Amino acid sequence: MAGLKTRLQDIKQRRELLLITSGSLIIAALAATHLFSFAAAGRWLYAAAAIAAGWDIALRAWNSLRNRHVSIELLVTIAASGALLIGEVWEAAAVTFLFILGAYLEARTLTRTRKVLEELLDLAPMQAVVIRDGRELEVAPYEVAVGETVLVRPGGRIPVDGEVIDGRSVVDESAITGEPMPEVKTAGAAVFAGTINQEGLLWVRATGVGADTTLARIIRRVEEAQEEKAPTQRFIERFARWYTPFIIALSAVAFLITRNVELALTLLVIGCPGALVISTPVSVVAGIGRAAQRGILIKGGEYLENSGKISIVALDKTGTITRGRPQVTEIIALQNVPQLASAVVPAGETAASLPDQAAGVLYWAAIAEGGSEHPLARAVRLAAEEQFGPLPPADEFETFTGKGVRAVYGNVEILVGNQEFLQEMEVTITPELQEHLRELRSRGHTAVAVALNGQPGGVLGISDPLRESSPSMIRKLREAGVRRIVMLTGDDELTARAIAAEAGIEEVRASLLPEEKLDAIRELQRSGQVVAMVGDGINDAPALAAADIGIAMGAGGTDVAIETADIALIADDLHKIPEAIRISRATMRNIRQNVVVALATVTLLLAGVLLGEVHMAGGMLVHEASVLLVILNGMRLLRI
Amino acid sequence: MKTILRSQELSCPSCVAKIEKALKNLDGVQEATVHFNTGRIEVEHDPERVKAETLVAAVKSAGYEARVSAF
Repeated sequence: MAGLKTRLQDIKQRRELLLITSGSLIIAALAATHLFSFAAAGRWLYAAAAIAAGWDIALRAWNSLRNRHVSIELLVTIAASGALLIGEVWEAAAVTFLFILGAYLEARTLTRTRKVLEELLDLAPMQAVVIRDGRELEVAPYEVAVGETVLVRPGGRIPVDGEVIDGRSVVDESAITGEPMPEVKTAGAAVFAGTINQEGLLWVRATGVGADTTLARIIRRVEEAQEEKAPTQRFIERFARWYTPFIIALSAVAFLITRNVELALTLLVIGCPGALVISTPVSVVAGIGRAAQRGILIKGGEYLENSGKISIVALDKTGTITRGRPQVTEIIALQNVPQLASAVVPAGETAASLPDQAAGVLYWAAIAEGGSEHPLARAVRLAAEEQFGPLPPADEFETFTGKGVRAVYGNVEILVGNQEFLQEMEVTITPELQEHLRELRSRGHTAVAVALNGQPGGVLGISDPLRESSPSMIRKLREAGVRRIVMLTGDDELTARAIAAEAGIEEVRASLLPEEKLDAIRELQRSGQVVAMVGDGINDAPALAAADIGIAMGAGGTDVAIETADIALIADDLHKIPEAIRISRATMRNIRQNVVVALATVTLLLAGVLLGEVHMAGGMLVHEASVLLVILNGMRLLRI
Repeated sequence: MKTILRSQELSCPSCVAKIEKALKNLDGVQEATVHFNTGRIEVEHDPERVKAETLVAAVKSAGYEARVSAF
């Protein structure tokens, strides 16, 4: 008996028990009535079935009533009781059984659409081992304080965001960064909560805990997107709120007019527009969940809707179409430049050995670029440091955004930049220099001129190669229905066009300053088209914000991008872009299908009941079937 | 204090109002919001007057299994 009691306490098990009981009684009743012609027994069995399923429904109806809420359970209870009273025992049994069956199936299938969120939540471990006062203590992950040290054993999940202070291991970060290959982590490395520590022990100093971790941010973002009410949904909910009282009133009126109790009761049965209210949320939850599974975090219903309508895609060049890791690939020294032969250095410093003139070009350029954070500057510095080791700092240093840098080291004034910059600084532009610059650019390199003491010294070719996936991604975008693809870049026209041609992009806007990228987006939007912009979440922020849909790539681990981009792509994978468009379009189609099914069902049921064609059992059956149909259709999105 | 509950069982949107009212009727609960789409339930309450277990029991009486969650 104790076992039965616990069985009844658990909601899911109680539902199953009642289903089996009620169902068996109904089968018995059917057998009695039709097989054995024992109609009287059949009637009692039907009544028993109705009570077996009905008392639970009545209980919940009562609980809600105590909270002053008229629930669908109340309507079903009244309908079933009324049916019993007028002797319609079969109707009472069928209605109660179908209602519980419906609830059972709905719960099971809806759970499936929510599973993506569940899977993300499951990434968060239940336990953390924190080191306090030299002892290892097991606590809940959110009880760890920022700054405390956490111990992660091999095979365990990292419970906090943090920095490795000791130990060495390999960590699978695919859930957070989209990187399929596990990363080596040693002292100084950053780690994320929810990732799997594979081999060694790690001691981690917590920098982010509980809701303040990248995992929590991803989860919250998926949740917010799933919970956000698209305009269609809000409209449907307003409709649903007056539908139920309307049905109750209609039922009362119908009874008063026709004195047909069964008609009035049947109306009560269809009092909840279940399928209609679920039609949008189930698709939104499934669609956003599916996208999240594929590493695409969509901000919400509005962006889902708009993604389906994208006709123009603007792509930033550096880091999006290209790898974003520029490298010095060519160094050309011009003829007869004295300073290149010997590096004149300030007194007291040792002269660097310059093996040849080309090395000289690199050396001087790197010193000049010492203070710049620009990716091109870093490429130059890296190449120089590889060859010469650490470089001396310049004595003077000045940056000219979009143009170049000027530095002084010893008695040498160094200018590094594009041709316009050198001209502005009154350097003689020789035909030789011009030709080298032009030639490099025509091959897709960024060409940078180096001038020493007012004379052109050499040219550096910096190459930021195309991603291998770029051409096929561009093709897929066109296949997805995007009509115009535009490349935006601060790089110069010739270089940009070379890269664009390789990728298959025809429209190029080059030499853009950051504000000009924003203007370009606005101009594209002027034709009323829906414009998406793909870029790096941090540097392209203004343009991304201006676009109808801002898509940030490689957002995994970058909290800013996760929070602000309309669509954040966790991995650095270009193919996610057409995929995001595809999933959005499929979700919108799904919503439309569901709304049609739901509306058709509501109208047909209402008409059917009022015309006397549909009775209680039939009404409940059609109602539950339509809800299930809508949910199952929504679940299809989980597999696209 | 805000407690977050999560329920996997919300199947009919009408249960949103049901659960919210069940929670708000508890003494010490200021606000309760049920997000049907994700099964997340946010409850603003006075921890002295009503504990998390009571919140879970209230949701259960409305007919749904729920558990407390950290975020």
